[in-house]
Formats: sequence, C-alpha cells, structure tokens
Amino acid sequence: MKKLPLAAATLLALCAMLPITTQAAPERYRIAGVPKGTTDEYWKSANAGMVKAQREFAEQGVTVDIMWKGPIREDDREQQIQVMENFVARRVSAIVLAPLDGTALVPSVELATRAKIPVVLIDSTLDKDVYVSEASTDNYQGGVIAARRLAELLDGKGKVIVVRVVPGSTSVEGRVNGFLDTIKEFPEIEVISSDQYAGPSRDTAYRTAQNLINRYGHQIDGIFTPNNSSTSGTLLALADVGRGGGKVKHVGFDTDKQSVAALRAGDLQGLIVQDPLNMGYVAVKTAIAKLRGEEIPKLIDTGCTLITAENMDDPEINDLLHPPLDKYL
Amino acid sequence: MNKILSKFGPFLGLLLVIALFSIPGEVREYFLSVSNFKIILTQTVIVALAALGMTMIIVSGGIDLSAGSVIAFTSVIGALGLKHGWSAWAVVPTVVASGAFLGLLNGSAIAGLRMTPFIITLGMMGIARGAGKWMASNETVNYTNPAINGWMTTADPYDLSMPPGAWVAVALAIATAIFMRRTVFGRQIFAIGSNEATARLCGVNTVVTKALIYTIAGGFFGLAGLMQLARLRQGDPTVAIGVELDIIAAVIIGGASLSGGAGSILGTMIGALIMSVLRNGSQQMGWPTYFQEIMIGVVIIVAVFLDRLRAHKSA
Repeated sequence: MKKLPLAAATLLALCAMLPITTQAAPERYRIAGVPKGTTDEYWKSANAGMVKAQREFAEQGVTVDIMWKGPIREDDREQQIQVMENFVARRVSAIVLAPLDGTALVPSVELATRAKIPVVLIDSTLDKDVYVSEASTDNYQGGVIAARRLAELLDGKGKVIVVRVVPGSTSVEGRVNGFLDTIKEFPEIEVISSDQYAGPSRDTAYRTAQNLINRYGHQIDGIFTPNNSSTSGTLLALADVGRGGGKVKHVGFDTDKQSVAALRAGDLQGLIVQDPLNMGYVAVKTAIAKLRGEEIPKLIDTGCTLITAENMDDPEINDLLHPPLDKYL
Repeated sequence: MNKILSKFGPFLGLLLVIALFSIPGEVREYFLSVSNFKIILTQTVIVALAALGMTMIIVSGGIDLSAGSVIAFTSVIGALGLKHGWSAWAVVPTVVASGAFLGLLNGSAIAGLRMTPFIITLGMMGIARGAGKWMASNETVNYTNPAINGWMTTADPYDLSMPPGAWVAVALAIATAIFMRRTVFGRQIFAIGSNEATARLCGVNTVVTKALIYTIAGGFFGLAGLMQLARLRQGDPTVAIGVELDIIAAVIIGGASLSGGAGSILGTMIGALIMSVLRNGSQQMGWPTYFQEIMIGVVIIVAVFLDRLRAHKSA
C-alpha cells in the first residue's frame, strides 16, 4: 500500500511521455446517468430519453456523450455511491441521478457539487437541497387524476378504499394525498378505508387486499392502488372473490405487463402512468442549460397520464405503455 | 526468482491492472489522476479493514462468512448510538465492541464446540443480519448527528488530502502486519493454520487463540461497519450483502491459502486494491457492470492458479 503512490507516479511519468492529442472541440459535454437499477424497463426508458436528447443536440452540432451506469440491486446504496464517486473522478460535465435513498446519496451529491459537477435528479428527490434541479412526476397531481377518474366511473357516489404501500415513501404518499383531497369534492363518495399498508411486494399487497375485501366485502364500489405492486396484488385478490371485471371499479398506478393486460381485459378501469423517458430527456436538457449558465427551474413536472381501455391503442399512449426503446438503445 | 515472484506477485498484478486501464488515451488522464486514486483508496477502506481480520482468520485455517452481516449489524448499532446523541468517542468503542462480541461468539463456538468455521459463521451470517434488521425495526436508521460524517470524505475531491478513514486503514494495516510477523500470538496464528495438532503439542492453547482470532477479526468488521456508516450517514441493515465474498477474495488474491498457514497483510491490501481498481477502471472505460463482475471472477481464479504454480515449483 505504501508503494502505491510511487508506482502511480512512475506510471504517470511514463504516460506523460506519450503524446496526448487535444483538439479544440466546439461544444462538448459528457453526461453521466445513474439509475436506481439497470434491469428494469423503467430505467431503460430513462436511458432512452437521455439518448433522445443526445440526438437532438447532435443535430445542433453539440456533442453529448452519455455514460450510463447503476447498481445491480435497487437497494444497494453503497454501490450507487461508488458509481457516483467514480463519475466524479471521471470529471463528467454533469450527472443525472435517480437517488436510491433520500439520505444516503446526499454525501455523494455534495461531493459532485464540490467538484463543480451539477447533479440533476430524476424520479426521486433528496432530503437535502444539494442538487440543481429535479425532473420527476408530480405525484400529488397523479392522485388528483386518479380520484377524478374513479369518481367518474362511480357517477359520483359509492364507497371506496385506498391502499397505501409502505410508511415513509414520499412519492406514494403524495399520490394518496392527492387522491384523498380530490375525492372530498364528491360528497356522495365515502372513503371507508385509507390506513392499510400493502407492503413492498405483490405478495404482501395480495394479502392486504384479501384482508380488506374480506372485511368490507360487497360494500366496496371502488379501489385506488397507488403503485405497481399494490395494483397487481389487488387485481389478484379481486379476481379471487369474483369481483374483477369491473364489478369493483379499480384505478391503479404505474405499468407492468400484468396491469396492461388487466386494462385490456377490463379488470382495471384506469392506470396512471409516469414518463421515465421524458425524465431522462428533460434531465439532459436541464443539465446542459445549467452548464451553459442559463436559468433553470428547480422542479420540473415530467407529467403523468391516465390510460384506459379506450385510449390505450392511441400511438402516443402506446409509447408510454411500451416505450420505444429499440429506437434509442 | 521464485522468491521474488511470490513476494511481489500480487503487487505485479496490481500494476498490471493499473497499466491495463492506462492504455486508452481518452480514459488515462482521468484514471491516472490523484483524485481518482483518492476515490479508489476510499472505496477500498471498508473491504480493507475487514480483510485485516479475515487474513488472520484464513491464515489460522478458518473462514468467516458472517463479515458482511456483522458490518451491517454494527453500522446499525452505531446509527442508533448517534441517533441518541452519542459522541464519536462513545460510538467508536461501542461499535467495535459489538463486532468483537459477535466474533467472540463465532470463535467460542468454533474452538469450544469444535465445529467447522464454515457452518458456524454461515449461521452467524443469518443471525447478525436478522439481528441488525430487528435493532433497526426493519428500516433504515436515520440521524442528524454529524459526529462521524467527515470520516470517509474530504472537502475538495481533487486535492491531495486523504479522508481520515483511509489513514486509519493504512495505520491498522501496518500495525497488523507487524503484529502477525513479530509477536508470539501472531506466529501462533500461522502455527495453528499450518498444523493445528502440532501447534497444540508445542504448547499453543489453540482454543483460546482461535477464540481470540475471531474476536479481534470481529472488532475489525465492527470498524468496517463504522466506516460504512460514515459513508451512508444512515444505518442500513441491508448494506454489505455479499461483501464477505469480496473480503475473502481480497485475502485469496493477496496470496493466502484457504487451507491455512500462509498469507500476508500486504498481499491482502493489494488484493483489495486490485478489486477496487478493476471496478473503478471498468466504469471509467464505460464497461457494463456484468463485465466487471466477470473480470473480477477471472482475476480470482488466475491469481490462485498462479499461486499454485509457484507453490509447486518451489516444492
């Protein structure tokens, strides 16, 4: 270990003798993307969005290199911190980060800031204001859209339940708050349960939904499930007791293959989807605006859209359900 | 020639890996920079500290699969202490002691009950992980106490200063190397690993020595847990899953033998650095994560194969 600096110095000296060609490039940026995980289609969409922005800049003669790297497991905070540090050492121009944890990633964003590398967040936020901008879904607005849809399905009257996911998840709590605040506008709709947690997986959500349906049974007219796992778990539980197929109106959040199939089959009457491709796209644009010294907004809403069986085949809606990854990646 | 090779084998490996990433001109200026080596060293600290303890265990002919779980457990303990407003002076000994306590449990069971280290520490891997989640009420432990925030980071990422955690690791590596080579206890570790029966006949109290080895190693794992805590600034009971394998790999790449009796602290430290350099370098090159996992796997096998080749020649 003591010999390392010496060895590094020797190598440095060796390399200094080699010619290094530097060209006066016009405008060139290297943007690093750090997702929460790499296997999920959601993150691949964000990557595709970054490439979309890269191509637009290329048409204007601006070279943008995109580097994409994330941890393998979506709870591996240490790995995401290492990826951030290595990009700082690589002296990238800016970093687009989807922080795994609001607290654990603060030091590495501070590190990047000290290294004068602006960090633009996507998808999730940090507990401390150390980033330059955030491009994410307005989750409260997503809950508002869900409430309006459910009220429309129920003709403004009936009993509904709302399932929560896990304590402390700010994005999901935002959706639930948006839903609860908006559903109050319909005096004949009564929320009979809004304090049950579906847990982190489809399996735990399945059990929670079974318990709730067991307890409230045929009183239930509508359900709002504010994320992916709670939506698919509740679908299973409703199908079990023969209340699927629209007997209970069900509005969910986020997509996967099962929920898209349920939408087509009529088991789900509405799905609010986010736009990760737009997050990646907007984040690159924002980062470059920041690097050019322009004023940038602190928070950018990348939008969320209501998808129903009627509109799911429209081309732009179809792009949200099946992001055109092949076009960019 | 063989003697030189066996002494500098891992060191040559490290130089080779550094050279590999220094060839492409576009990456070199970033890879071969002071700030990058500072980051590599910082990222090595946790594995390196734990590998100090693991070297002692492996040299004595044992193994500890619970290291990663102990790191997670002790980081939760530290986070709980900080949450209750403890100062660094109270947190450090508590965390190291809690790691040492788990090590003592391992060592007592292995030496006292004469059970295989693999089985005992496999059990402890689950026990410590579960206990950590229990202590943390199955979520992360967050605190605002900044007592240890600065240990694994420096104010300016591009200057020459090193974070305190890296200095602690260097100092302890030197101390442990001297301890293993120059003290009676240190030589007894090698003796037990070479031939436990002979060591016992020569008057080594193998039960006490083994229990002590695992206890000291547990203390090192606790210290690694503290550094993990300083990096995350949050007690996370799910951190360091699988890190025990990185730690064992560092010791093995460094030239230690899994059958005991051979190994060195310098080798282990270089082994840990080789893995960090590989991870860092492949990211700078833009290689995908799966490729670097394959690379590290290949390096472990090649390192052990070269070691075997050397051992055969000299025999």
